[in-house]
Amino acid sequence: MERARQLEKYLCKMSVLQTWLVQALFIFLITGSIGVLLDPCGRINPESPVVQLGSNFTAVCVLKERCMDYFHVNANFIVWKMGHFTIPKEQYTIINRTAASVTLTDVTSLNIQLTCNILTFGQIEQNVYGITLISGLPPEKPKNLNCIVNEGKKMMCYWDPGRETYLETNFTLKSEWATEKFADCKTKRDTPTSCTVDYSPVYFVNMEVWVEAANALGKVTSDHINFDPVDKVKPNTPRNLSVSNSEELSSILKLTWINSNIKNVIRLKYDIQYRTKGASTWSQIPPEDTASTRSSFTVQDLKPFTEYVFRIRCMKEDGKGFWSDWSEEASGITYEDRPSNTPSFWYKIDPSHSHGHRSVQLMWKTLPPFEANGKILGYEVTLTRWKSRLQNYTVNDTKLTVNLTNDRYIVTLTARNAVGRSDASVLTIPACDFQATHPVMDLKAFPKDNMLWVEWTTPSKSPNKYILEWCVLSDKSPCIPDWQQEDGTVHHTYIRGYLAESKCYLITVTPVYADGPGSPVSIKAYLKQAPPSKGPTVRTKKVGKNEAVLEWDQLPVDVQNGFIRNYTIFYRTNIGNETAVNVDSSHTEYTLSSLTSDTLYMVRMAAYTDEGGKDGPEFTFTTPKFAQGEIEAIVVPVCLAFLLTTLLGVLFCFNKRDLIKKHIWPNVPDPSKSHIAQWSPHTPPRHNFNPKDQMYSDGNFTDVSVVEIEANDKKSFPEDLKSLELFKKEKVSTEGHSSGIGGSSCMSSSRPSISSSDENESAQNTSSTVQYSTVVHSGYRHQVPSVQVFSRSESTQPLLDSEERPEDLQLVDNVDGGDGILPRQQYFKQNCSQQETSPDISHFERSNQVSSVNEEDFVRLKQQISGIPQSCGSGQMKMFQEVSAADAFGPDTEGQGERFKTAGMEAVLDEGMPKSYLPQTVRQGGYMPQ
Amino acid sequence: MDMSWDSWGMLACLCTVLWHLPAVPALNRTGDPGPGPSIQKTYDLTRYLEHQLRSLAGTYLNYLGPPFNEPDFNPPRLGADTLPRATVNLEVWRSLNDKLRLTQNYEAYSHLLCYLRGLNRQAATAELRHSLAHFCTSLQGLLGSIAGVMATLGYPLPQPLPGTEPTWTPGPAHSDFLQKMDDFWLLKELQTWLWRSAKDFNRLKKKMQPPAAAVTLHLEAHGF
Repeated sequence: MERARQLEKYLCKMSVLQTWLVQALFIFLITGSIGVLLDPCGRINPESPVVQLGSNFTAVCVLKERCMDYFHVNANFIVWKMGHFTIPKEQYTIINRTAASVTLTDVTSLNIQLTCNILTFGQIEQNVYGITLISGLPPEKPKNLNCIVNEGKKMMCYWDPGRETYLETNFTLKSEWATEKFADCKTKRDTPTSCTVDYSPVYFVNMEVWVEAANALGKVTSDHINFDPVDKVKPNTPRNLSVSNSEELSSILKLTWINSNIKNVIRLKYDIQYRTKGASTWSQIPPEDTASTRSSFTVQDLKPFTEYVFRIRCMKEDGKGFWSDWSEEASGITYEDRPSNTPSFWYKIDPSHSHGHRSVQLMWKTLPPFEANGKILGYEVTLTRWKSRLQNYTVNDTKLTVNLTNDRYIVTLTARNAVGRSDASVLTIPACDFQATHPVMDLKAFPKDNMLWVEWTTPSKSPNKYILEWCVLSDKSPCIPDWQQEDGTVHHTYIRGYLAESKCYLITVTPVYADGPGSPVSIKAYLKQAPPSKGPTVRTKKVGKNEAVLEWDQLPVDVQNGFIRNYTIFYRTNIGNETAVNVDSSHTEYTLSSLTSDTLYMVRMAAYTDEGGKDGPEFTFTTPKFAQGEIEAIVVPVCLAFLLTTLLGVLFCFNKRDLIKKHIWPNVPDPSKSHIAQWSPHTPPRHNFNPKDQMYSDGNFTDVSVVEIEANDKKSFPEDLKSLELFKKEKVSTEGHSSGIGGSSCMSSSRPSISSSDENESAQNTSSTVQYSTVVHSGYRHQVPSVQVFSRSESTQPLLDSEERPEDLQLVDNVDGGDGILPRQQYFKQNCSQQETSPDISHFERSNQVSSVNEEDFVRLKQQISGIPQSCGSGQMKMFQEVSAADAFGPDTEGQGERFKTAGMEAVLDEGMPKSYLPQTVRQGGYMPQ
Repeated sequence: MDMSWDSWGMLACLCTVLWHLPAVPALNRTGDPGPGPSIQKTYDLTRYLEHQLRSLAGTYLNYLGPPFNEPDFNPPRLGADTLPRATVNLEVWRSLNDKLRLTQNYEAYSHLLCYLRGLNRQAATAELRHSLAHFCTSLQGLLGSIAGVMATLGYPLPQPLPGTEPTWTPGPAHSDFLQKMDDFWLLKELQTWLWRSAKDFNRLKKKMQPPAAAVTLHLEAHGF
């Protein structure tokens, strides 16, 4: 209970302490001298240790008696902690009742928080004291100490500080004379490896300099260096460098400059460099030539008329110290000199020369600057013909066209600048009949190092020089040669001038002898080959059943891009694998064999240069099913065989025709020719007709068919004439119907229809007219006959005769094709076949038959009918109506109609009224209910 | 046989000399400096100081103003008797031995340096003060250099007499013009001394060279 109260009291005290802690610490920090406000329970020794990395460290915590009493603890209760980590007990050493130590081995952390704690009440850890352990390394001995004295400035020394110490390390530069010490130079924090002293060094008095490096773990001094500051001087740069040339000597330039002031104190040596303008590398004047103090120097052995750039620097003559910085560059141009070489010289003869003269173009190359040695002011050309006077030309251009005779000429060329003339370049233009000989041999051209090299073997006769000409071979543009001249001693060179890649160059080498040019030799070359830009286009020349002859054109030189080394032909069927065939580049034709017949083949071709290939377009062809002539070989014999067989068959048939005839067409006797024909069924109707005719003549009206055509119910009479005309026109369009009527008339005679007449029964009843046939011609007025009803009279009475003799009528039909039929029957037949007129004719015929009209009469009648003006043909139907109408209203009709009426009336009258079933129609002035 | 020994000896001697030549610092405190290089260095230093003084004097005389900065200003020497005199009879100068010659130089520069420091304190502009300070340091270096040569040659440094310790005590009697005149004569005397020292050390330098030349000649005589 007591203990608990104590604890509570302590805790209270601690909380108070804690609140005080911050304030106390603050006060402690700012008023350290006032004293310790916070009285810790103990202390750690040492307070702020710095240890070397990797070393061991021992700290001792000493507790105060008061605390020990208060908390009832002793040194055994001490717990050491490193940050939050409790250090194991094994590392503790109890020194006495109040003190315990801890030993840390091999300290590797740079910063360790070490605290001493006590365990109060057996479990509560109470912090007693804490220290920060800083570790690092002692400084290493600074090395490579050196000093530099920039002229006019203070001395600066620098050194290599050695390894990292992890601690604040101070470097101090110390310097002294034998008799005197100078002020220390302390490094600034940002430049710990150099220090600039704050006094101007005194030249020619040796001084000793060293560096001291110090930190918490130690102090170390570098080696002492002893030197004369003048030996550490870096002079100022020579100024105002200028370059001047000399008219007397084109190979020299004189440099002048102003030395720095240090030349009064020390002797200097120089380093002069130069280069031609535009060059990147410097040339050096031999150092021994500039090993003493000077302010000018003449550079020799320079090229004339060339701009040179110079720069200079200096240092102490004995080489001690440092080179100054390079001066600013200065440039100068050497004076001109006479051209040192002759221009390259060549000529070209115009091929289209007139007789006796030739146009020669002399051409030359401008001298390169290093040979021109100045500005070329012009060229002088002299022309010498054999034993004749000199011709002089002064030219500014690099070509000259002259007209020469066919003789031999000697041409000389000199280039001229401000100083003098070049040597003469001599060229012999041989006479017209000159035969060039001695060509170069083994001409080769190959690319190397991105240049096109040409190599040849010197001809047996040694030439003065060689001319190399080259041009691009192209189909698009002509060969415009460029050229260059080579010395007579060389046998290989490269083409100078711009060359494009993948262009074919034609290079010609001509040796030039004293008496004229030798034979030229040409070669083709590429600077760099490339795959062709287009592949060859392959096509078939001939396609056979199992083979195909392919052909192609050589690739144009513009697309070749290199030497075509070979071709590859790829061919395949639709489904099959591709087959490749290599073909030599010299071929333009190839035969593909072992192809399958009747197959689609796809073929393409690639051309290869050394650099690769390019496919051409694909070509498709189909092999035929049969080889050429194969079909003919099959078809012709087959045809021949067939023909032969047919012939033989025909012959056989002809020979055996009787036999065949017997079998195929047995001899059937012609009944018409038989004797029985005399009593055949044909005859009785003929005989019967006559009696019938007799009957007609007897006034039997039954055989008279009256065809009443009802054009329109409401037909007005005043329009009759017009109607007649219309009817006449209509005849053409209604022929078919008429024929139908005719046909039905034909049929009606053989098959009297009862059923068909049912429809008209009522009409007939009302009209009490025996109508044999009614053509309902509703389209008459409107010119479009829509429905035609063929009505047959139901009245059987007048036809009884016919009905009673069906055979007769039947016979009429049967006899159609027969010869020797009676005229009347013939007439009927014609009616049927010539349908145009049959109904009318039959009617008139019948009516005329009363007066026994024969065929001639009929024809006449027919002519009459056809002769009816404006009523011919189309008016026939109408006419019959007219007839019936005329029958009814006789006086109104006139002309032909009247005649017909009369004829009809005659017939009617002849036939006699009593026998007629249509008395109203025929009865003159009779009543007609319509 | 005798000659062979002689030539071997000479070669050894030459080798020794050559061996030591590059390793001789002028003020090597550990000993064996060899007087030659340090004499040469002292000579160079006098020349350097002479050059330095020329520009310094120009600046300073301009600072003093006319007539001191006029080129043909040549006043009679008044009141500057305390300054050590550089001018001496040629015969006397020739007859001076090395020790005396060096001692005279050392003493003269000791005094001149002392006066010069007084001059430094009076200088008005910072630039001039800086130049004077540097010149003083250089002159200090010359003193040390002479002391070094003397030490090399085994001569003791002259002990300054307690009573004659040179101090710059500008008397109140001095007028400003006379003060300037003193300054003028200080600079002039300093210049004369530097000329003389150059000659002195040149003479010493030449004096120290003969042995090496003799060796060379000797070797040449032996057909090397």
